[in-house]
Amino acid sequence: MSALSQSQAHPMSKLSTGKVALFIILISESVFFTTLLVAYAALRDQNSWLIDHSLARLTIPLINTAILLLSVIPAWYAVVNIRNENQSVLLISLIATFMLGLVFVAGQVYEFNHAGFHINDQAFGGVFFTLMGFHALHVIAGEVFLVINIIRTRLGDFSSSAYSPVEISTWFWYYVTVVWLVLFIALYII
Amino acid sequence: MTVQAQTKSKLAKPDLSGFLSWVMTVDHKRIGIMYLLTAVVFFMFGGIEALLMRIQLMQPENKFLSPDVYNQIFTMHGTTMIFLAVMPLAAGFGNYFVPLMIGARDMAFPKLNALSYWTYLFAGAFMYSSFFLGGAPNDGWFSYAPLTEPLYSPTHGMDFWIMGILLLGFATTIGSINFIVTIIQLRAPGMTLTRMPAFVWAQFVTAFLAVFSLPSLTTAVMLLLLDRQLGAHFFNVAEGGSAILWQHLFWFFGHPEVYILILPAMGIVSEVIPVFSGKPLFGYTAVVFSMIAIGFLGFTVWAHHMFATGMPATTLLFFAGDTFLISAPTGALFVAWLGTIWKGKLRFSSPMLFSLGFVAMFLIGGLDGVHLAVVPVDWQLTDTYYVVAHLHYVLFGGAIFGIFSGIYYWFPKMTGRRLGEALGKWHFWFFFIGMNLVFMPMHVLGLEGMPRRIYTYGTGRGWEIWNFVETIGAMIIALGVLIFLINFFVSIRKAATSEADAWDGFTLEWKAASPPLVYNFAEIPSVRSRRPLWDEKHPELADWKMENK
Repeated sequence: MSALSQSQAHPMSKLSTGKVALFIILISESVFFTTLLVAYAALRDQNSWLIDHSLARLTIPLINTAILLLSVIPAWYAVVNIRNENQSVLLISLIATFMLGLVFVAGQVYEFNHAGFHINDQAFGGVFFTLMGFHALHVIAGEVFLVINIIRTRLGDFSSSAYSPVEISTWFWYYVTVVWLVLFIALYII
Repeated sequence: MTVQAQTKSKLAKPDLSGFLSWVMTVDHKRIGIMYLLTAVVFFMFGGIEALLMRIQLMQPENKFLSPDVYNQIFTMHGTTMIFLAVMPLAAGFGNYFVPLMIGARDMAFPKLNALSYWTYLFAGAFMYSSFFLGGAPNDGWFSYAPLTEPLYSPTHGMDFWIMGILLLGFATTIGSINFIVTIIQLRAPGMTLTRMPAFVWAQFVTAFLAVFSLPSLTTAVMLLLLDRQLGAHFFNVAEGGSAILWQHLFWFFGHPEVYILILPAMGIVSEVIPVFSGKPLFGYTAVVFSMIAIGFLGFTVWAHHMFATGMPATTLLFFAGDTFLISAPTGALFVAWLGTIWKGKLRFSSPMLFSLGFVAMFLIGGLDGVHLAVVPVDWQLTDTYYVVAHLHYVLFGGAIFGIFSGIYYWFPKMTGRRLGEALGKWHFWFFFIGMNLVFMPMHVLGLEGMPRRIYTYGTGRGWEIWNFVETIGAMIIALGVLIFLINFFVSIRKAATSEADAWDGFTLEWKAASPPLVYNFAEIPSVRSRRPLWDEKHPELADWKMENK
């Protein structure tokens, strides 16, 4: 942002510009995932699906779900602590979220390699890898935001009165987690 | 005010000049001008493609273009006009005038704004490079699968189209987010939502339409890309895919897209008509709600593009009825424009002529749309020239007339000079007569059963005379464009008069200098009514005083 627009008076709104932007982006992202899910539903309607519902098959996805759900806790804790000006806990919380995210990505890579089918195996292969792949890309984007915020925390950029980027990255993280839950239910459970 | 300090900090930056200062700029006005100029160039490309098609169709059994080239030309004509001309023209005006009209100094994210423009320019150049790299896309602007599957479209043309559309979708999405955030966050004191100019409202609704609808196009082209490049089978029925899925995904974007193209033009017309009638916009609230309603309804009618695909009767009924419903808010807009003209002190300058042309031509396009919403009529007319007539009355008679109205209206603000009035009127009449000669006979051809997108036709069907007339009309439009270009280059060389308020306007952009300074307003204006500049010029007749009486 240029110096001009940052310092200019805009008294008609008390919202944070970054949060408004994030909100609009997430709406747009939701339409994207919804249309992918519609494609999934439409194709599923007329095909046999290859996912086996046994517990053995679901082990890795279930562990991944648990890890991602767990990662929400330090993300939330990061915001709580910067509000209290607790820089060191903020740093540790962000790193913890980031590490759990990495474990999730590793788990997904393993899952992709052991799925037992490929993107060109019938329509199902395409749907599975497209949905999972785009979600994984979003997790990686979330990881990038977290890394940026970890560096900025080290540089002392945040305080109890200025922590909007931390909130934005954690909100994005919650969003990615919610999308995962929807995809997990749609692709593995139903 | 901290303006002086800010101006100084601006000056302290390395002083770039000439070409580089445009490349590096994040100023919304310069980005707006770059959008407009680039889009006008692409408009010429699309126009030349249209001329080539008209020359080919001038006579039956013509050999001017080969079928293969013809396919590439009509695909690129549609793609260019929609994605590379009309959308960026609207984005250019939005960039330039939304911050000025709401009393802001720039967009909310100036750098994203620059990114959005450069992505658009790259995507356009990328798509056009396909002509020299093995053939342009050739499956029509809506690229129906499975025709676009690798088996049936083996050249890389489709891949160019897919990548180009992905980039353009990205550019438009970040641009739209920027508009939404700017309008929510950066309004001047007193500029409440109910006082925002109609053009800003139109851009606001358009931005929401883009943000909600483009992801569906992204999904569609992404799936197609995976089909083509990684051997997935989304649209391959033999492997459990679905051919109709493309149409649903595409038109869920494609119909809102129609309103993305027309709403900014409606916004321009809703600014021009009041100023040139010397009256406030009649039924402002109805105009705003109509635009919002059109936006909402636009998302619920997509399958009316697919009546011929064999849908269940209830589905047909729903989408037909829903489509009729759009006539209601659209009709309200016509009432508002006519009510504004009614008993006004009319000035028939070029911007007003183009706006009035918009009202008349868009009406015809709208009525054609109602015909096509009648399912049995659509079954008869789908994929004929009747559809081509309809969409061009809406997009040429509508969007393009609105945009040229905007060009004539805002040119003095952007350059400090007026476009020549006499040439402007010639331009208008060439456009008006030319477009009716091209597109009115298409109704007849459509009713006579001439399919769209055929590269030639046999003799003795009664199509020759109308095709000939259409080609003459296309030449007249081309002459109109030429007149505009002459007007542009003559006017830009004249000495600047720099009059701030060229047309006795109502809205805040006319308060700034012509062209405006980098920071737009030395002091952020404060607003008490829908016509802040009128209030300032006529303190005793100010709108807010009248409201209180």
